[in-house]
Amino acid sequence: MTEARPEHPVIAAWHRRPLSSRVGSRRFRRRLVIATYAAWLAMAAIVKLLSFGPLPFIWLSLLMVSTNIIIQLMWVERRTIINTPALVDAELDERLVQSRNAAFRTAFKPFALAALIGWLLATAATQLQPNSQGYLNSLILFMGVAMLATTLPTAIVAWREPDPTEPEPASG
Amino acid sequence: MAPSILNRIGVLRAERGLSRQQLADAVGINYQTVGYLERGDYNPSLELAFRIAEYFGLPLEAVFSRQPFAPMSSQLYGKEESA
Repeated sequence: MTEARPEHPVIAAWHRRPLSSRVGSRRFRRRLVIATYAAWLAMAAIVKLLSFGPLPFIWLSLLMVSTNIIIQLMWVERRTIINTPALVDAELDERLVQSRNAAFRTAFKPFALAALIGWLLATAATQLQPNSQGYLNSLILFMGVAMLATTLPTAIVAWREPDPTEPEPASG
Repeated sequence: MAPSILNRIGVLRAERGLSRQQLADAVGINYQTVGYLERGDYNPSLELAFRIAEYFGLPLEAVFSRQPFAPMSSQLYGKEESA
């Protein structure tokens, strides 16, 4: 007897949560984008400050990694039309596909630049400071680039998507 | 910026008592996309424009135009008077 495999795309689609069209106002979304990256920078600064105290390197790196995971879950795991960069083509219409492709195109240059600068600085940090401070600086840079890689296209869609259309009066 | 394409989707939808969701389901697009089309925030592809026109049973130029539309009532009664 053939057993149904739950990982098959057709079967996986049965369990997929519906895509939400609720997108929030553009002003709210732009504030959210700024707040997200500001929160990450603040966390990186806190971790750097804590590194001068008695906290061991492993706890500081766990703090940085968990910050990244929380932000990435908030931005990537939702299923709204703002999250088009994380959705498959079959769930998107032509406008959303265009919006997603434009976001990837826009994200490519700043991400490539950030990745290059991050790699150079991380290499310099580990070479010039072969101690826990150097490794921490390197880790922070790596986490910053990793966060841009996963959240930047979605943040660009959130920034650009127009205000949602007004709700229609309920038909009775 | 690309010149905007004007459309009568909102009027036609209201005339037929369709919700945005019903039209979106019928032509296979997202609910918000219908709103953006009506508001002029998005210009449809030729394929989508044809699908919408076919759904309403009208020629393409009756639904989409690059020039402002004359009111439907004046077009309708204007023709009747001249005939």
